[in-house]
Amino acid sequence: MPYYIGDVIRDENKLVARTPERFRDSGIEVLIRTPVERIDMKESAVQLAGGSTIDYDILAIGTGTIPILPGIPGQDLEGVFTLKRLNDAIRIKSYIDMKPVRSAAIIGAGFISMEMCENLRLRGIETTIINMGNLPVTRWDPIFSKRAQEELDRNGVITLTGTKTESITRGNDGRLHLATTAGELAVDLLIIAIGVRPDARLAAEAGIPLGKTGAIQVDFSQKTPLENIYAVGDCCEVFNRVSMRWVHIPLGDIANKQGRVAGRNIGGAPILFPGIVAAQSFRLFDLEMAATGIDEREANQAGFHPVSTIVWGNAIAGAMPGNSPVGIKLIADRSTGKLLGAQAIGEAGAVSRVNTLSCALWAGLGLEEVAYLDLAYAPPFSPSWDPIHLAAQDLLKKL
Amino acid sequence: MGKKLVIIGSGAGGASVAAEAKRRDPNLDIVMIEQGDYVSTAA
Ligand SMILES: Cc1cc2nc3c(=O)[nH]c(=O)nc-3n(C[C@H](O)[C@H](O)[C@H](O)COP(=O)(O)OP(=O)(O)OC[C@H]3O[C@@H](n4cnc5c(N)ncnc54)[C@H](O)[C@@H]3O)c2cc1C
Ligand SMILES: Cc1cc2nc3c(=O)[nH]c(=O)nc-3n(C[C@H](O)[C@H](O)[C@H](O)COP(=O)(O)OP(=O)(O)OC[C@H]3O[C@@H](n4cnc5c(N)ncnc54)[C@H](O)[C@@H]3O)c2cc1C
Repeated sequence: MPYYIGDVIRDENKLVARTPERFRDSGIEVLIRTPVERIDMKESAVQLAGGSTIDYDILAIGTGTIPILPGIPGQDLEGVFTLKRLNDAIRIKSYIDMKPVRSAAIIGAGFISMEMCENLRLRGIETTIINMGNLPVTRWDPIFSKRAQEELDRNGVITLTGTKTESITRGNDGRLHLATTAGELAVDLLIIAIGVRPDARLAAEAGIPLGKTGAIQVDFSQKTPLENIYAVGDCCEVFNRVSMRWVHIPLGDIANKQGRVAGRNIGGAPILFPGIVAAQSFRLFDLEMAATGIDEREANQAGFHPVSTIVWGNAIAGAMPGNSPVGIKLIADRSTGKLLGAQAIGEAGAVSRVNTLSCALWAGLGLEEVAYLDLAYAPPFSPSWDPIHLAAQDLLKKL
Repeated sequence: MGKKLVIIGSGAGGASVAAEAKRRDPNLDIVMIEQGDYVSTAA
């Protein structure tokens, strides 16, 4: 969606994986513009707006997330958006096309904010990030987040750090006036991207148990604790194989897999969902950023004794033209030598390395194994000692 | 008639349930209910 708003993807229909017609052709009935208002557990039925009901033998809940709002005056004004659904993207894009929008602000500095500012800049819009904290994308080590901040600066994105937005009003000039702790700011468009929370309202009201995260509790077959009721995607929890805990990580690839697992179990071809290692990536202008596994804080919470290192290596053989630095952070458990997490940043080669390390995490490899892992070497693709090896060997010294 | 499966939400998760359940058991009677204008969208 951010790339659609940036006009990198021109046609919104390219974002629709499967149309209602195609579902109907395969014998699946689809109702759109039809909110479910209540789940009636006693009658095994869902109640629609207007009071009509539909009975079920089996129910699957995939209600997703709701964007968090800051709860400040003016957050519902025209020109203030969250980005969650395709409709939001279409509304933002047509607002930009219609208005003309010369300047925009984004509240929040997570990955949606990062993707949006790249695309707003692509459209020549002056863009300001209003960050409550001091660095963007705090899943990454501060050293990598600083590199991300430099990338924002280099591409002309203005950043206000340590700044809270207190209210939004429409000025006489027709623009949105933001009162912030760093002074006033007037923009044509405001995007709020401060995170999401699971939409578990229907489930909670029906007595379907939620986990500690506030998302719906499920087991490895995507079943909730109640008979014949499944939940999938952003509205439910997922098992983190590294921390061995049920977590809420709303990502699209996880939703797809959980959906397919539930579908198989409902359709009589049972399978278990093996969990995740929390691999995530995004692009910020010329930078790739990726992370997998858990960080020191999560490791401590899960009872590990984390040690970590950051190593900068070459994305490809150092002598090759086009080489660029790639930073790798590894986190391991001091007592067992087990790999716990990895982060990477660079103009090239960051995402592929985090994917490799995701496999290592999945398999539960130790640093000794990662340090001598057999990886394909050829000068256009990597140095003979890959930065993954260098980082693992460096971290071994700290065990 | 097979069993009736009702799915609330048609994002990546709900749409995957629908497609896979139907593939595995063509006799299932499936209704997917979406409050918005679009089904099965990518982010
Ligand atoms: C009420 C409220 C008000 C806030 N107000 C502001 C504000 O005014 N300004 C501001 O800058 N920030 C604010 N924040 C902080 C905000 O939550 C984050 O800083 C960030 O901006 C959210 O961006 P995002 O929507 O891109 O999601 P991100 O936080 O970037 O998260 C993206 C996705 O990654 C997943 N993820 C996160 N951590 C992990 C992990 N360890 N492993 C795997 N996946 C992970 C998340 O589940 C999420 O789906 C506020 C938070 C709250 C709750
Ligand atoms: C801008 C953006 C960029 C992203 N980029 C990435 C990325 O690069 N990689 C990644 O892995 N993930 C990404 N994500 C996250 C990804 O989009 C979600 O994880 C994914 O959409 C989750 O699918 P879902 O089916 O669980 O929920 P959703 O897609 O949110 O679908 C839930 C559906 O349920 C419907 N619904 C809710 N309540 C009701 C009701 N009562 N009645 C009827 N219908 C209802 C909603 O209208 C919605 O259509 C991104 C998200 C955003 C917003």
